Amino acid sequence: MILQNLSIKRKLTLITMLTSSIALILSSVSFLIYDLVSFRHLLSQDLMTQAEIIGYNSAGAMEFKDEPAATATLAALTAKEDIVTAVLYKPDGKIFAHYFRSNTAFPGFLPSHLQEKGYRFESGYLEVFQEVTINGEHVGTLFLQSDMRQWSLRAKRYANILIIFVLVSGLFALLVSSKLQGLISKPILHLEDTMRMVSSNKNYAVRAVKTYSDEIGRLIDGFNTMLSEIQQRDTALQSTNGELKTRTQELEEEVFQRKQAQEELLKAKHAAEEANRAKSIFLANMSHELRTPLNAIIGYSEMLEEETRDTGKIENVQDLRKIQGAGKHLLSLINDVLDLSKIEAGKMGLHLETFDVSQVIEEMVTTLQPAAAKNGNSIQVHLADNVNTMRADVTKVRQILFNLLSNACKFTDHGSVSVSVDPIQLENREWIQFQVRDTGIGISAKQKENLFQEFAQADASIARKYGGTGLGLAITHRFVQLMKGQIWVESESGQGATFTVRLPAQVVIETAESAPSNRASKVPAASSETKTGLETILVIDDDPSVRDLMSRFLTKLDFHVVAAANGEEGLRLAKQVDPLLITLDVVMPDCDGWTVLNKLKSDSKLAEIPVIMVTVVDNEAMGLDMGASNYLIKPVDRDRLAVLVEKHRVARSSTITDASTVPFSYVAEGPAGRKTVGSRVPKTRRN
Amino acid sequence: MPKILLVEDNEMNRDMLSRRLQKRGYTVVTAQDGERGHTLACSEAPDLILMDISLPAMDGWEVTRLLKANASTRHIPIIALTAHAMVSDREKAIDAGCDDYDTKPVDFSRLSEKIENLLVAKKVS
Repeated sequence: MILQNLSIKRKLTLITMLTSSIALILSSVSFLIYDLVSFRHLLSQDLMTQAEIIGYNSAGAMEFKDEPAATATLAALTAKEDIVTAVLYKPDGKIFAHYFRSNTAFPGFLPSHLQEKGYRFESGYLEVFQEVTINGEHVGTLFLQSDMRQWSLRAKRYANILIIFVLVSGLFALLVSSKLQGLISKPILHLEDTMRMVSSNKNYAVRAVKTYSDEIGRLIDGFNTMLSEIQQRDTALQSTNGELKTRTQELEEEVFQRKQAQEELLKAKHAAEEANRAKSIFLANMSHELRTPLNAIIGYSEMLEEETRDTGKIENVQDLRKIQGAGKHLLSLINDVLDLSKIEAGKMGLHLETFDVSQVIEEMVTTLQPAAAKNGNSIQVHLADNVNTMRADVTKVRQILFNLLSNACKFTDHGSVSVSVDPIQLENREWIQFQVRDTGIGISAKQKENLFQEFAQADASIARKYGGTGLGLAITHRFVQLMKGQIWVESESGQGATFTVRLPAQVVIETAESAPSNRASKVPAASSETKTGLETILVIDDDPSVRDLMSRFLTKLDFHVVAAANGEEGLRLAKQVDPLLITLDVVMPDCDGWTVLNKLKSDSKLAEIPVIMVTVVDNEAMGLDMGASNYLIKPVDRDRLAVLVEKHRVARSSTITDASTVPFSYVAEGPAGRKTVGSRVPKTRRN
Repeated sequence: MPKILLVEDNEMNRDMLSRRLQKRGYTVVTAQDGERGHTLACSEAPDLILMDISLPAMDGWEVTRLLKANASTRHIPIIALTAHAMVSDREKAIDAGCDDYDTKPVDFSRLSEKIENLLVAKKVS
């Protein structure tokens, strides 16, 4: 393991050294062994030859039992250092003559018995037996023993040489390998250095230097290519980052400016609305003040007319009629102005009911028959077979038709006026289309531009000739808008005119804004909600488009929606309809969302109603601190809103279940008394 | 002759209406404020009351409520007269206990019709 973690430099050196040393040692040792083996063989051959010579030389002495001669022959062996023992045996095995290099060896080292001719290695000694013969007759046996001194010496010398040789060549290998390993390790180490530099300094401009064109060279090439790629991307990234930063700053600036502009716009809008409201209130008051003297004018002139007629002064009757006429004209003007001011003040309510369309048409035609007859006009009615009933504000439908028909009669002389009613299907909705056509003086393109504007009679001369307030079409237009319908005119000067009004067959009140602000009309609304069993959500927002959107969305989720255009109305409605929950805007004129929230939470009867803040103001902490249940930032995430309202619906239905076990009679009454056990006083219903 | 109590603060209107009513053959008693109207309604026992709503001090609503709360005057039909002509006024009038309602300036023939209807209805009951 230590080996594996060594630096590549060491590893290379070590590998080279180990490999070369092992090869060297293996080859040297095998050579040594071979040499020693063959030397031993040589030694044994040499000893055998000596034994033959000595045997031959001592054969005569043995024949003649000349012991001293034999001993002398053997004594010649002193020249041979390695021969330690030489013995001549008689054929019966007894020693005849002997030679010992030292006396100590005798007689322990002698063989126990004689052998055939040959050699053997016995306990580190080389021993040779040689028959001694004369003319083929066996006269004795010669035994030689060598201590192989030469061989041992040779082996020792060789071993020494080998060790020195291995050491020297190892040293040399170390020198060479440590020089040569640089070929491989240097570029790798350089690569490593470069890499470290890049990663620690994040400097992608550094490049590794390529030394050779081998695999490492290619590795370095690859590394450099990679680096330049990274450098390019890094540069690109940095410049993009810079752009992004600049853009973000610009955007922030823009958002800030927009917010400011929005706030200013909002302020201006509120100021304008306030001014408009003030104007409407002024108009309403004025019209009231004007009615009182008018009452006297019309009343007295009527009275006078009757008295004059009684006394027979017919000539004065015409003049008195003119006074009456002028008074009534003034009254209709005041009524129209009042209507308009009510529309603008948002106080013009819709009282929806289902009615028979044909009956209304019939009534209107009967009412207008005298006006038509006055100019010699005939009135025709075209009623489609499949027109039955519609749900709308019947008074306003009457007034719309009255205005259009009386205009048609007024501006047509000895012609025809027709009214046709058709049901039509448009954008998956049912509509009722009313068309009033006349053959009168018509309307020029220029006159059409301002036709539906207040006080914009087609021509100043028309007022003189035909009378009228110039408000009829404006009011008609507003009424049609209130019921989410459309009105337009097709006409050319002198060619008659066709006014078309398209109203939904089922008009729906989408916000409470248009409802009149009094309690009496609200109570039935609340009880109808009880009948349908839908939970009520109160939407408080000054922006009509938000109210509209929220109402639509929540209605789709099967809630009954009541909307309030300002804080005060919201508080009043909260007490009235006891909603399941309230969605509350913050930025509102006069009484803002925080004030409303504070008032809701400090009223023991209202404190339990969950409030979801829905606003552009990003101050969730404050909202939650003040007791809001949830906080949504506009534009509203509809999915989240749906989840939240559903949660509250579930929470309420579970408390109703709990409450149903409590014997309070109001629990059974429906939403009016729910959710309140223990914490709220049961409501007393006003009837 | 049916007796009508007219409660109206505007002198001209009071004069005009009372004369026209007298002309139709009604006995007319007039009051110029709510308090006097209430007193006369109790003392004169009129057959019908025409009640202006915007009156100084005690307004028409208040007088109507008082009269309708009193067992001896409850049966007298009251027609409210208002110059406001707001939808809310109609509902307020019905809420307060008025039997009918008309706007000023008065359309005399329409008002006479309403008076007659209420007087007939009262007789029947």
